[in-house]
Amino acid sequence: MCRIGAIKSKKKLHPSIALKLMRSQQEGHDDSGFAFVMQDMGGLFENYKELPLLSMAGTVEGARLAEDILRDVGFTRVMQWSPDIKNKRGLKIEALPIYIFEVLQYPKSYKHATREEKEELLIDTSIRLRKALEENNSGYIYSFWPDTLTLKEIGSPKDIGTYFNLWEENKDLTSSIITAQCRQNTNYDIVRYAAHPFFLEGYTGLVNGENTFYEKNKSYQESLYKGYMGFESDSQCLLYTLHYINKILKWPLRYFKHTITPLSYDEIIKRDDSEVLLRIKSSLANLEVNGPNTFLGVTPQKELICVCDSKKLRPVVIGKTEDTVIMTSEVVGINDLMPDRNREDDIYPNEHETIIVRNDLTVERWQQ
Amino acid sequence: MTICKIKTLKNNNRMSTQELLQTIYKKIDEGHTEFEIEACGQHDIGGAVKAKKDDASLLFRITNPGQRVGAMAMDGVKIVVEGSAPADIGWLNSGAEIVVKGDGGDTAAHCAAGGKVYVGGRVGTRSGALMKHDPRFEPPQFWVLKNTGSFSFEFMGGGIAVICGYDCDNLDSILGNRSCVGMVGGVVYVRGKVEGLAECVERIPLDKLDKDFLKSGMPEFLKEIERPELEEELLDFSGWTKIIPLPKELKEKKQPVKEFIKNEWFKEGLFGDLVEDNGEVFGLAETGDARLRKPVWDKDLCVSCDLCLKNCPQNAIKKDLANYVSEPEKCIGCGICAAVCPRKAWKMVNN
Amino acid sequence: MAAVGINELHKNDLPWILVYDESKCIQCGKCTAVCSFNAIKPAVELRKKSNSITEKNKTEKVLVIKQNVSLENYCRGCGMCANVCPNGAIRLIRNKDDRYSVAYRAIKADSFKKGGRSNLNTEGRTLDKIKIGRISQMTDPSLDAQRHTFELRTPFGRVLKADKLNFDVKDGKIIETTQLPPNRWIYPIIFGDMSIGAVSWRMWEAMAIATAYLNEVMGIPIRMCTGEGGIPTKLLKSRYVKYMILQIASGHFGWNRIIKAMPDMTEDPAGILIKIGQGAKPGDGGLLLASKVAKYVQEIRGVPKADLLSPPTHQGLYSIEESVQKMFLSMNAAFKFKVPVAIKVAASTTSVSVYNNLLRDPYNIVGGFFLDGLAAGTGAAHEISLNHTGHPITSKLRDCYLAAVHQGRQGEIPLFAGGGLGQTGSFAADAFKLICLGANGVFTGKMLMEIAGCVGSDTGRCNACNTGLCPAGIAAQQDCLVKRLDVDKVAQNLVNYILATDIELKKLMAPVGCSTLPVGRSDALITVDKHISNRLDIQYAC
Repeated sequence: MCRIGAIKSKKKLHPSIALKLMRSQQEGHDDSGFAFVMQDMGGLFENYKELPLLSMAGTVEGARLAEDILRDVGFTRVMQWSPDIKNKRGLKIEALPIYIFEVLQYPKSYKHATREEKEELLIDTSIRLRKALEENNSGYIYSFWPDTLTLKEIGSPKDIGTYFNLWEENKDLTSSIITAQCRQNTNYDIVRYAAHPFFLEGYTGLVNGENTFYEKNKSYQESLYKGYMGFESDSQCLLYTLHYINKILKWPLRYFKHTITPLSYDEIIKRDDSEVLLRIKSSLANLEVNGPNTFLGVTPQKELICVCDSKKLRPVVIGKTEDTVIMTSEVVGINDLMPDRNREDDIYPNEHETIIVRNDLTVERWQQ
Repeated sequence: MTICKIKTLKNNNRMSTQELLQTIYKKIDEGHTEFEIEACGQHDIGGAVKAKKDDASLLFRITNPGQRVGAMAMDGVKIVVEGSAPADIGWLNSGAEIVVKGDGGDTAAHCAAGGKVYVGGRVGTRSGALMKHDPRFEPPQFWVLKNTGSFSFEFMGGGIAVICGYDCDNLDSILGNRSCVGMVGGVVYVRGKVEGLAECVERIPLDKLDKDFLKSGMPEFLKEIERPELEEELLDFSGWTKIIPLPKELKEKKQPVKEFIKNEWFKEGLFGDLVEDNGEVFGLAETGDARLRKPVWDKDLCVSCDLCLKNCPQNAIKKDLANYVSEPEKCIGCGICAAVCPRKAWKMVNN
Repeated sequence: MAAVGINELHKNDLPWILVYDESKCIQCGKCTAVCSFNAIKPAVELRKKSNSITEKNKTEKVLVIKQNVSLENYCRGCGMCANVCPNGAIRLIRNKDDRYSVAYRAIKADSFKKGGRSNLNTEGRTLDKIKIGRISQMTDPSLDAQRHTFELRTPFGRVLKADKLNFDVKDGKIIETTQLPPNRWIYPIIFGDMSIGAVSWRMWEAMAIATAYLNEVMGIPIRMCTGEGGIPTKLLKSRYVKYMILQIASGHFGWNRIIKAMPDMTEDPAGILIKIGQGAKPGDGGLLLASKVAKYVQEIRGVPKADLLSPPTHQGLYSIEESVQKMFLSMNAAFKFKVPVAIKVAASTTSVSVYNNLLRDPYNIVGGFFLDGLAAGTGAAHEISLNHTGHPITSKLRDCYLAAVHQGRQGEIPLFAGGGLGQTGSFAADAFKLICLGANGVFTGKMLMEIAGCVGSDTGRCNACNTGLCPAGIAAQQDCLVKRLDVDKVAQNLVNYILATDIELKKLMAPVGCSTLPVGRSDALITVDKHISNRLDIQYAC
């Protein structure tokens, strides 16, 4: 079991809000981990939005290895932030020796590079870092991308919050979008990479659920793009598909739902766009997702997206105030954070819906 | 006894479900019957408990409960939730009155077999699934002011659901899509548009008993969810229908292939212009054209011994003056005539 | 009485031995009347009246049923005689020590021909050693096979990779900009190519009716491949042609009438299947013995009454590249690139190269790859081919799928597998397992015959499809046998069997948590055989 949440606000928020969102949903997860991704940073990172921000954790050796690689590629450090670690006896956390959050400057040779070229460099460097760290088991790289910060750890969310001093709000570490999950993973070994949210090139994804078409998805995605790697969790497949549809194929977001849970043939043939939908159903049959799940995501345009499986087997609810929208597994989290919202405006997405939260916080509901 | 008030969140410390429930058990043992609980998502509140004294009843007023509020709740228990509650409200409810003034999550009233579940907003998918009715007790009731999610009332076996469809003008279907799959018992009253119902149920108009039931139950429901002003609107029966399971014999209506051939297929058969075939089906060992072989008689060889005539099992051989004739409408082509003939006057040839 | 020579054919040489109980026989003649092989006959026997040795032996003649001892008119064990006998006076037992196959060759100096299937089942079936082992219970809930909705459809026709679809986006919506290869969503079971001629007109019509009925009444979009023996013009011009996959094989029989009918066709056919090879007798062309070339068969095929031997290859095709260029192109062109064109080959160690080559076809005109395995049935073949050539379907299907995965091209040319499906009574399970291993669907011919009442077996019963003497009227061509087949009933049985299979497929999809076909979901399978586990890349379990 896991519980997920995505918060988007007009204000800059501290990650304590994610801990609070998850707190009431505790019996919905297994208290084994906590992870979050912050996007559209404020505070200390406000002035470095265009520069890549590295989030990693590991051993001293891992940190050195990463530094060597980054220097080798030509990155130079611009700014570094370290969490205010408050270690206490008895905290349920499997902390790593070093957590690195640093803003880097692109190599000099990239002075006139296009955005695409820079992005290419970031993904290539991420892959190189990941492989190197994996080789001698010395650390994990979670994101290396502008305006994005990721923290993942194994343990009780409450204690992880205490360890990193995240319960206490401050103005240094803030962002307008925070996505978070409680529970490390999975039915297998505990692996940090298997913890949601997953992040790839501006796309973030979290899933509460299962994907029985994991084997199909994985064997197809492995050949689609170099950044589709790891596959520690069947939920990663959903993020990769979102990325593939929107970034690689450049299709509008609404086709994500048509890909992961295509309508049945009988439903499609009644529609005006049946030709296109049948093509998608055939060509991307290997990206279909089966099994129960709710997907929450963030796009590079910093919009939130939410879709459910075709039988709507997992919970999700969306609540809204003037300045903040929250999507999360159970309404209790929203009740806690937004007790005074108009609950009649809550949205319970259905099996055919895609919910999009725009940057002005308007919420769109697209029927598939 | 005073009202027992429980706050479950102090600073960042949240009471776990176990801690909360055990506190409640203790307080009930102490004789408490009324609770006000400021919950923080704890599960199973109000479920499987009974007042200390047999004739007393329990009342829970709860804010922000977690899943399965009122799960396995018993007779003599009333649970009132101020806002919305997540999945499984009233799961296996066996007699309590459970009021959720806001929305319910997925699988509300799942497996409820007694008592009442009142929801002042919407409920999610698979709500009312597997509701049942034990005839020795009153049937469970499940009242929802607005709508349900898809796949609701799956495998429903009994009980009464009332889905009022209030403020649902923007919805294509008050019950979502594919509701009532596998429903075998009970009744769902619904007001407003319904699409995509399972094939195994039918939607029919209300009769007088149905209307009487709604009339008698509606005021209490609306009072509990604090919307008494809606009574007149909701008791206008023009938009109401009820859903009940189809009788078994109506569930399977297949046209036999024979009918299809008669009505749709080529009149003279697909090969009508290529072969001579009137469609007759030959049995095994039949006469006439169905025979594989037929006997042919040679007058020159015959000694008129009558053995063929005597041995033919079908009595198919006739003696006509000095001529023997095998009658095709009797002969099955067994070859006995040829076998017994001492002179091979009968021969079998392919038919 | 003639002397009995040791080198002649004897009753004990035959594969089946008649057991006749004179005391129960009422001499009704039904057994001999019904035997299409003319393998038994009424006969007069001379009997001694008494066993006394003091008086001169008196004899009497009695009527009995006897077995013919003949290379041609010999018993195939079909059992029709036993079926009609009112008293159970007659039955057949298998002769374990027969020497028929030696005698046939020794006397005839010819290769032995038969129909049906291989009778050498030495390997054991791979599919029976595979179980569906990944059952969802908690994590991904099982579905209810009877009551939840499932989609049993699979693409047929060339599937392009998403980035090759030439889509444009306009006002937030995708629009097509070019004509894309035809692609249909069909039921994952195809009635497999049995020609008019190989089967009787009644059998063929029953299959066509069942196909039409399943589509139009039951909403099951099943397709039937016509086989290559011509098609009644009536059918070509009817709406039902849209359920028919027209076959072209190396004999090109019947295409004259198809071409003539084209201008009057109101619907496109479901597809075209270019048959290169057949699993039961790879490397062999079609074989229709003269006894089955009835008058109407001569007519629609455009041939006289003679043994019809199709060449082993298409005469005009020298290589895979050429077959793509010529055959696929022409067949696509014939229907204006609107009808999927697929190819059927016999499974072979080389199948993967063929599949790889087709995957690389630059014109996107290959719409399906039908792979036919070892245990497939046939109308007629040399026994040596039937028993000793071929390749099991399972590993080859898997190889092809994984070859596509290796290139990231799985699903681009849909794979259909056949060959001995349902052999051990588990057609739906076989289909499901092959789908999990990468097939988009399966095809079967032999199952259809068995549903229609075929009495043949994999252990040598009957298997006389080549003779035209099929006792069930399925593979016969003479009136008195063909008309034993009740079209209405056979069509109904075919329909019923597919409805049952449909339920059974759902019964397998449900517990693995799939509401759509689990193509390539090998993680759902386990095997208790280590070698199979290694070879197919599925989990070993014990």
